[in-house]
Amino acid sequence: MLLELKKLEKRFGGVVALRDGNLQVRPSEVHLLMGENGAGKSTMMKIVAGMQRHDGGEMLLAGEAASFANPKQASLAGIAMVHQESLLAPHLTVGENIFLGREESGALGMVRRSRMMERANQLIRDHDFPLQADWRVDKLSPAGRQLVEICRAIAGEARLLIFDEPTSSLSESETRSVFAIVQRLKEKGAGVIYITHRLEELRTLGDQVTVLRDGATVHSAPLASLTRAELIQHMVGRDLDHLYSRTPQSPGAELLKVSNITRQGVLEDISFTLCAGEIVGLAGLMGAGRTELCRILFGIDEADAGQIEIEGKLLRARSPRDAVRAGVALIPEDRQRTGLATQLPVGWNLTLSSLSAHSRLGTLQAAALSATEQKFISRLRIKTNGPEQRAARLSGGNQQKIVIAKWLARGARIFLFDEPTRGIDVGAKMEVFEVMDSLAREGAAVLMVSSELPELIQVADRILVMRQGRIAGALPGRTTQEEIMSLAAFEKENPLQ
Amino acid sequence: MIPSAMMQRLLPFATLILMFVALCFVPNFLLASNLASVARQTAVINIMALGMTMVIISGGIDLSVGSILAMGGFLGSLAMAKGMPIPVAIATGIAVGALCGFANGFMTTRLRINSFIVTLGTLGAFRGLTLIFANGLPVHEIPPEFSFLGEGNILFLPTVLWVLLACGLLVHFLLEHTKLGRYAFAIGSNPEAAFYAGIPVAFHTTAVYAICGALTGLAGMIEASRLMTGQPTAGQGYELQAIAAVVIGGGSLRGGEGSVIGTLVGAFIMGLLANGSDLLGISPYWQQVIIGAIIILAVSFDELRKRRAV
Repeated sequence: MLLELKKLEKRFGGVVALRDGNLQVRPSEVHLLMGENGAGKSTMMKIVAGMQRHDGGEMLLAGEAASFANPKQASLAGIAMVHQESLLAPHLTVGENIFLGREESGALGMVRRSRMMERANQLIRDHDFPLQADWRVDKLSPAGRQLVEICRAIAGEARLLIFDEPTSSLSESETRSVFAIVQRLKEKGAGVIYITHRLEELRTLGDQVTVLRDGATVHSAPLASLTRAELIQHMVGRDLDHLYSRTPQSPGAELLKVSNITRQGVLEDISFTLCAGEIVGLAGLMGAGRTELCRILFGIDEADAGQIEIEGKLLRARSPRDAVRAGVALIPEDRQRTGLATQLPVGWNLTLSSLSAHSRLGTLQAAALSATEQKFISRLRIKTNGPEQRAARLSGGNQQKIVIAKWLARGARIFLFDEPTRGIDVGAKMEVFEVMDSLAREGAAVLMVSSELPELIQVADRILVMRQGRIAGALPGRTTQEEIMSLAAFEKENPLQ
Repeated sequence: MIPSAMMQRLLPFATLILMFVALCFVPNFLLASNLASVARQTAVINIMALGMTMVIISGGIDLSVGSILAMGGFLGSLAMAKGMPIPVAIATGIAVGALCGFANGFMTTRLRINSFIVTLGTLGAFRGLTLIFANGLPVHEIPPEFSFLGEGNILFLPTVLWVLLACGLLVHFLLEHTKLGRYAFAIGSNPEAAFYAGIPVAFHTTAVYAICGALTGLAGMIEASRLMTGQPTAGQGYELQAIAAVVIGGGSLRGGEGSVIGTLVGAFIMGLLANGSDLLGISPYWQQVIIGAIIILAVSFDELRKRRAV
């Protein structure tokens, strides 16, 4: 046995993050670790990677008791981890980040820079990543950073690698490269622990699966012996036999009309409409321009040409403020960075965009504010100790609900959801879909950007597919993944030729 | 048992009370005249620190307050020397301060320059302008009644204490009960999220600097009243004391954290420290070392608390 965890425990103050963590990983095994957010997966893996110390239980590495005071010790023991959130030095280059902390040094401790860069480039080429060793990390997209994290983990000769949701921000082809890496690591005899929310990724990859729930291991078995429904059931502890499905209604008045939006090198000639009561999906590969389109609709970037009309009125949004006033809401992809002030209370975040409605002559109306806070906490079933709790303490799904509630409180009518289910657990996903559905029923228009094709198919009334900055086509909601993918990835064949 | 997070938050208060109790054993400390002088000495820094609290909560910093204090105090005094009534002169001082603060805020938000750099620049520029207006010389022609602001009493308490109380209540109200205050916390905590939430970030940031400037202008008038001169060289180094008061009181230079009560406690800790050292005959050189140590201690306790909390 390469790694064995027995009854591992970890507390943060009064909060028990892990109470009975058990895991057994053999060499040459891809071990999937699943569970809802807050189940204790990341905590357990941070203990293995030396970022945190356990309060109880045992960790055995190749049969010997182990406990790491810091990541360096874990790394020396042959353990590497690819983190979900980027833990890179943004001002350094890709190559410097890959070898950060284990630079090759020559005489007088000087770093052998050119050799390091060469090795980094070799590594990048081996895996066909769209990176270069001398690029600065802060110029990279979230996906690019994730790839650097992966390079960093595989650059050492680790015998146990931990991947924490490595593909959540990656494109299809990048995801395939990651799978190939995992496969290769397995063939070389390393153990791989792979945390994921995406059930679709499982079958091709995993040998064994362990499910955590509420800080305890609830199930561990060969993957082949479990159905998808069984897995979900272990994770959430309740039956989820039917996945989400919504009954579309006939669309109402046109709320948003986008005509010929172009932004040099990013978007070209984008036109579409959104009607009240509609949920429109926006599919496409990474870099197809979906997020960029949302940024323009929300006034963050300006278009070079084209126009946006809201309920027939021309919108000239120079900042999000203008867009918000016109009734547009953005639930951003990167909610920690742009969606929430995580250090502030839940209640403050909830009402941040609607303070004007809750104040008289600039003075906040405490009773009205607290009524709104309570209303949306219960309406969206936000799991929190109360509006005074810091948003940072909540799980990803509950944080997402705060962002949504912020716009509900504002009374927005056009909702742009950018990857609304990224990094949130199955139960919370369903709740997000229900919110989207009720928004549409109440007459809002919803644009849902997602890389999760099954989710798009289940939720959207119709789906726009983007490819290289253009709208490549529109599909009805009840389409297939293959249809979407063929539009997103390939030029349409001309039937006449 | 009090939870440790709560205990850490109460630490500044406990320190203040402990210091006060300890100082009661020092001869002359409890004399009304001594306590009044502590209040008068602390008030100037205290009022500046209130404005600084708002700036720091909004994620910025204002290094130019010492120079703003001098400009406000000098031009206000000049107004009196030119025959303006005292209330108009005080209003002049406040308005000059507000204008300087506005300039800081404007440059920070419109030119998108880091507030540290902007106010480092205006720290020199405002001081230089004041010296140019003054031609290097202080104003002495101040009506004797003006000393009431800095040295007078209302209902047996120093006037400045009442002024401080009013300013404290005002800033507390702004921070806790107005849109401006809520936005200041949001902008300081995560400027990008605030922008994405549709908050007019530039407007409110500028307002915060202008309010800080106005309070500093008022502090400048108090300083002028205490010295009974408009000194163009007044207030040098005060910015560091004001920042120290905010930080000792739990404000975070990363923004999003701070409170009026914390800042007042922080300023009084420094005031008592200075007074106690004077009474005990500790040299002012050592006082600087002690205050420096306290700042570092206060912040490290705070960091420890946060790390445990996460």
